[in-house]
Amino acid sequence: MNTQRVASIALMAIVTGIGCGGGRAQDAAARTEDAEQQAANVQLAETPETPVKAIRPAAASAATGGASLQGIVHWSGTAPTREKISMDADPVCQQQHAQAAYKEDVIVNNATLGNVLVYLKEGVSGSYSAPSTPVVLNQAGCMYKPHVAGIRVNQPLQIVNSDSTLHNINAKPTANRPFNVAQPVQGMKTDKTFTKPEVMVKFKCNVHPWMNAYLGVLEHPFFAVTGEDGSFTIAGVPDGTYVLEAWHEVYGAKTQNVTVSGGRVSPVEFTFSAQ
Amino acid sequence: MTWCSPPALRQAIVLRTAMLSLMAWSAFARPAFAERPAPDVAAGRAEYVRSCARCHGVEGAGDGIDAKRFYPRPRDFRLGIYKFRSTASGTAPTDEDLFRTVTHGLPGSNMPDWPHLDESIRWHLVEYLKSLAPIFQEAPAEPMAVAADPGKPHADLAKGRALYEKLGCAACHGPTGRANGSSAGGLVDDWGMPIRPANLAQGWNYRGGSDAESVMRRFLSGIDGAGMPSYAGTISPEDAWHLAYYVVSLQEPPRWNRIARATRVRGELPKAIDHPAWHQAERTDVRLRSVVTTAGEWAKAPTVTQVAFQVLYDEETLAIKLAWDDPTENTQGPADALAVVFKPAGLAGDVVTLQAWPHEGSSALDLWHWSAATKRAGETLSPNFDVITAGGQAAGIERSSAARYADGRWQVVLQRPLASPDLEGGAVLNPDELPTLAFAIWDGSHASERAVSPWIDVALRPLKPVQHAQE
Repeated sequence: MNTQRVASIALMAIVTGIGCGGGRAQDAAARTEDAEQQAANVQLAETPETPVKAIRPAAASAATGGASLQGIVHWSGTAPTREKISMDADPVCQQQHAQAAYKEDVIVNNATLGNVLVYLKEGVSGSYSAPSTPVVLNQAGCMYKPHVAGIRVNQPLQIVNSDSTLHNINAKPTANRPFNVAQPVQGMKTDKTFTKPEVMVKFKCNVHPWMNAYLGVLEHPFFAVTGEDGSFTIAGVPDGTYVLEAWHEVYGAKTQNVTVSGGRVSPVEFTFSAQ
Repeated sequence: MTWCSPPALRQAIVLRTAMLSLMAWSAFARPAFAERPAPDVAAGRAEYVRSCARCHGVEGAGDGIDAKRFYPRPRDFRLGIYKFRSTASGTAPTDEDLFRTVTHGLPGSNMPDWPHLDESIRWHLVEYLKSLAPIFQEAPAEPMAVAADPGKPHADLAKGRALYEKLGCAACHGPTGRANGSSAGGLVDDWGMPIRPANLAQGWNYRGGSDAESVMRRFLSGIDGAGMPSYAGTISPEDAWHLAYYVVSLQEPPRWNRIARATRVRGELPKAIDHPAWHQAERTDVRLRSVVTTAGEWAKAPTVTQVAFQVLYDEETLAIKLAWDDPTENTQGPADALAVVFKPAGLAGDVVTLQAWPHEGSSALDLWHWSAATKRAGETLSPNFDVITAGGQAAGIERSSAARYADGRWQVVLQRPLASPDLEGGAVLNPDELPTLAFAIWDGSHASERAVSPWIDVALRPLKPVQHAQE
């Protein structure tokens, strides 16, 4: 139980890290510090005066148990061009981007697809208690950081406004309770939890209609978000047969069966395309 | 009174105010209705089918036969998303919230008030609505904590204004509340339908009520399903009242005169917007409705909902000043535009409005028009509005005009001769009769929708009571 908890904390750090800036498939424990650093970098780099502290999960031990389920999400076909965001409506947003900002919905690099939530959809047995460390959903430069992430049922979600402008966080779950709250002041934090599993919960900001984010609420720690190289790692997966799903906000979901046996599992590949 | 020292007196006043607020609040929370009947969902259902299904649909899905014509759309009760609550965002409304909406309706929308239904029937309706959505079990009402009403005389409007700025209200509602904030144009509701923030100058158009308490509850609870978030936790319950009273102070009470009265001017008839002569002219406000497009749906949320006008005249000429809120100034391409329409003489008594124009067999209209593209006015006879929507070319006889756009509001002054000798078939305004006119206004940012008023009579001379012959 303890191992699982540690693993989930490490994983959570990864998910946050990947969502913030892209990640590579590595062992969960080894990855933890990078992920922390990355989360910190993103927040500090984008909002130098932010009062927000990056989350610092406890260092995970190397002992994760189970298999490290690694994989890659491929992109087939011409790479779509990322859409520029016009932030004309709010000078506070515009001033934070010296270069043009781009939408984060479709990130294709070297024929791989980023920002895909990959998670065990079926086959997980046992119960996994939620970490007390919050997942941070940061609004910085009028963008959500991360854009796609996973969170555990009953794990705290801390929503932070790092911008000196009004944001509203309009969460639109169907299984969980929706909410729409205002954060008019820089540095404001709002804590929420989701009590039921749900893939995905959409977040949007009515004030800045280009802003959206997706959070997958899961009962277990077996999930990851593909980085900018399309790769993912789900650590500590116990022996068993599972349905693995890859979810993307534009291109939908794909599933496949995976079997973990003797703590070993073959690498997994998904392929998405515009059709 | 010497036994009562000033601090004690103040305390007594504070205590009295608090008690009065408490009494007001109790009255609000538990209205002084007759005894609430035992729940009877079947009775509620029966009344629902009779009175509500036409808009909200037989099964409550918000898909009644009239639903698509409406802005905003009728609720889908199965979702359990209620806009006008006294409860936390994401939770169910209280029974009293539902009862109040049924009883008072939602001003400015198509939801009428139903005070004529028996109270017991209204409570049965509440029970029936609650049976349609699981939210009433899963996320029961969580009433928001509110502070005692300080009362209007004690409201700190300067503080309210500072809060309005600090909390970012202007992002949608605009710096002075005219729904012209930078984010106002891109709003959609949870169903993807375009919506507009409330124009805070138009108290009559606040769906959830325009009094300070209703306003305070709107920003504490948010308007679920619309863009308006809950500000709970970002503002203290005490400050919420100051902000609410400030918002109420932005309202410009409308003057819905049944007959608009013109004023005769002895000196120069004003051509300029700021001419002092306008101070003597009575203002009349007229509500505008957007014409439903041929698709039967709102292409965009209506933006122009009210026009104010004043009329001055002398022996030969009539001057009219109009003011209407339009969140965007469109001077190119499809431009903002206006038509003052004189009711054709042959239509006296006919109630057909400009909503239905042109209709089969409709006569030509005298259009006294102005366009933001040309900043010029003209007058012409036309069977339809194409001369205006075709691109703002001044058509027909040129007329004098002045116009200004500032902070979400157009002001336009037009002049024309009473008799119109230069326009064959043009309206001849006889000061001894009541000329009848209507307004059509286009917001260039969605030019396909015109906003139109009903016909309104203008009295040029003082009205005298009719003398009936004595038997």
